Amino acid sequence: MSRARSLLGSSGGLSRRDVLRAALVGAGGIALGGALAGCATPSAAGAGKTSVMVWDLFSGGDGALMQEMAGAVAAANPDIGVETTTLAWGPPYYTKLAMASSGGRPPEAAVMHMSRLAGYAPGGLLEPFDLDALAELGITEADFAPAVWEKAQFEGQLYALPLDTHPYIAFHNPDIVQQAGLAGADGKLDLSAVAGADKFLEAGRAMAEVTGETGVSWGYQRDPAGCWRMFWGLYSQNGGGYELTPGRPAQLDETAATEVFEFLQEMVDGKVAAKNQDGNAASGRFMSNRTGLMFAGEWDLPMFRDANPDVGATPFPAVFDTPANYADSHAFVLPKQGTPNPAKREATYRVLAGLLKEGLTWASAGHIPAYQPIVKEPAYQELTPQRDYAPAAEIAVFDPDAWFTGGGSDFQTRMADAMTDTLAGKAPARTAVTRMLSEMDRFLSQPNPA
Amino acid sequence: MTVSNAGVTAPPGRAPSDPKRSPGRSGTRTAATGKSLRERDKSGYLFVAPFAVATGLFLLLPTLYGLWMSFTNQSLTGTGSEFIGFANYAEAFSDPQVWQTLWHTVWFTVLSTIPLVVVALVMALLVHTGLPGQWVWRMSFFAPYLLTSAVVSALSSWLFQPDIGLLDTWFAALGLQPVGWLTDENVAMFSIAAVTVWWTVGFNFLLYLAALQGIPQQQYEAATIDGAGGWRRLFSITLPQLRTITGVIVVLQLLASLKVFDQIYLLTAGGPNGSTRPILEYVYDTGFTNYRLGYASAISYVFFALILVFALVRLLPSRKEA
Repeated sequence: MSRARSLLGSSGGLSRRDVLRAALVGAGGIALGGALAGCATPSAAGAGKTSVMVWDLFSGGDGALMQEMAGAVAAANPDIGVETTTLAWGPPYYTKLAMASSGGRPPEAAVMHMSRLAGYAPGGLLEPFDLDALAELGITEADFAPAVWEKAQFEGQLYALPLDTHPYIAFHNPDIVQQAGLAGADGKLDLSAVAGADKFLEAGRAMAEVTGETGVSWGYQRDPAGCWRMFWGLYSQNGGGYELTPGRPAQLDETAATEVFEFLQEMVDGKVAAKNQDGNAASGRFMSNRTGLMFAGEWDLPMFRDANPDVGATPFPAVFDTPANYADSHAFVLPKQGTPNPAKREATYRVLAGLLKEGLTWASAGHIPAYQPIVKEPAYQELTPQRDYAPAAEIAVFDPDAWFTGGGSDFQTRMADAMTDTLAGKAPARTAVTRMLSEMDRFLSQPNPA
Repeated sequence: MTVSNAGVTAPPGRAPSDPKRSPGRSGTRTAATGKSLRERDKSGYLFVAPFAVATGLFLLLPTLYGLWMSFTNQSLTGTGSEFIGFANYAEAFSDPQVWQTLWHTVWFTVLSTIPLVVVALVMALLVHTGLPGQWVWRMSFFAPYLLTSAVVSALSSWLFQPDIGLLDTWFAALGLQPVGWLTDENVAMFSIAAVTVWWTVGFNFLLYLAALQGIPQQQYEAATIDGAGGWRRLFSITLPQLRTITGVIVVLQLLASLKVFDQIYLLTAGGPNGSTRPILEYVYDTGFTNYRLGYASAISYVFFALILVFALVRLLPSRKEA
């Protein structure tokens, strides 16, 4: 306040000192605000309570929902204080988690991408779950889809407690889809109208006619994860297999992979989809009704729904013949503790079980809950458009199994780099495949550091 | 002085009659305290001790520990601290990524250092020639330097955004083709260098301005009396007088540019197609994303050795000048 007065009250107009002072005060205010906003959210960790710290990577809209769930769990367990800490998703998250574990003072539990399990579990950074303890809390193998449960295992033990499946799907704008003649009887996108590469591209052009710009939003620039999700999903649809065995050359179905890039090159032609678009531009255009369809993770649902309450969502269109939809899965893991504490451990199990059972809240963020009793609830069955893309979980394909793959890994960045020239139209489709194989070989020749 | 000295240097009575002290040195006494230079040297150590301890703990020890790690296969996950000799160094020298990323760092250094020196000089000269409202210029040229790399990257990210960014929108309005500011391999490094110049030129500008203000006014007056015009004064007085500070600025700038990491990591994360990835990001990716701390340390030491050689080469001619 005194600053403002001196700004207004100085007789000779603004002096340099006043401006500098005001700037300093302003900067201090911003810094303070940032510091406060960055605080962890302890759900009443008071005296006499066992505190359980959970790290998560939900820096999007789903982070607020996770905190809401943690609040509900804390309310149901008055003897436990739940502290959730949200850290930015990406490679640094896994650096922090690995360092905390190897330093011996990690959080009691953490959220991880299931695709990273292969790199973590063998290195002794995680502790397996005690199935009996989980069963006592009403959580058993029967409550999860077999494929997801299988994925959470390492050497016969459960290392990850699956929270959700989050597929890479297609959102659509019902108005544009209808005008382009791609809607079914319910007014939503008819998946058969976009099945097959040719029909998909045709549909893209039809939507471009409607919008007057491009038909499809796909932000791939500066987004390694987006590139990889798109490729791996389509490659699986095209029946492509892989062999990634350390010390041996990587094997891909090169024909199938080349076909995928030929399709993508046709798609980013400036008409079906923009040539040079990143995630922000892609969603910006989709939300301002300038494209009719957008490829994105289902976790973007809250953002798209804010812009258009009628936004539709479907599993990834069947561009190739094999039903497949790229997905990953968030799971809770138990980082290895330097000094195990049975009381905390017991409390941690109760917190995690509680969070799983709050799955309906989680589903409103767009995620498909892994805990099947939630999925079977009528309340979940009524959520739209969640129920429209829920079938994606049944044809989910996950990242290839190797220690270096998975969400937020250097592998995804290197794969996306290998695709750059091809996607920009500067190199033939085949080049991306050759470069990917050589990058894969490099990873396979390196020792597993875990 | 004497009191505090007695309190710190032990034992106070010993100093004047120290039998070990050579007779020659004991003769040199300072007028102010009556104590020998050597005595003052000793108390000097105590004054630098806090700094020395901090440097030792947070710079020397980690540096040595890093050197040790570069000879092991230490992983971030805590495993593998066995000695493996020069295997990491052998791998580093045969790793094409090391040389590629090193080249990116050098290329960035070239692209950023030249304008950061030249533009700073031009701005300082313009301000010094007596533009009205000096402090406004000084502050606006220097203000970006106060921003953190994250803020600078966020701002420029909006400018450079493909498809809907400010620059591309203007280009489209002018009927020009959009440019892949951060997404075209041939452009991205130039964009990053441009941002860096805008961001950090203020510091060099201040150094130049201070040096300009330190040039004795009499020289200009004498030259003016002799009939020298403005350009003549610039080339014959100002620029030669700025030679020393230019040397300092160039060295500081080279060292700063070689350390580039933040803005590249935040703007392109090394892309597109790894074309902007500096060697320090490769070290970071190797050590912290791929957990290979041992190998990452080896790459760091290769880079460290190169900078050291470079710094020493720079020192040699400056010794001769002195």
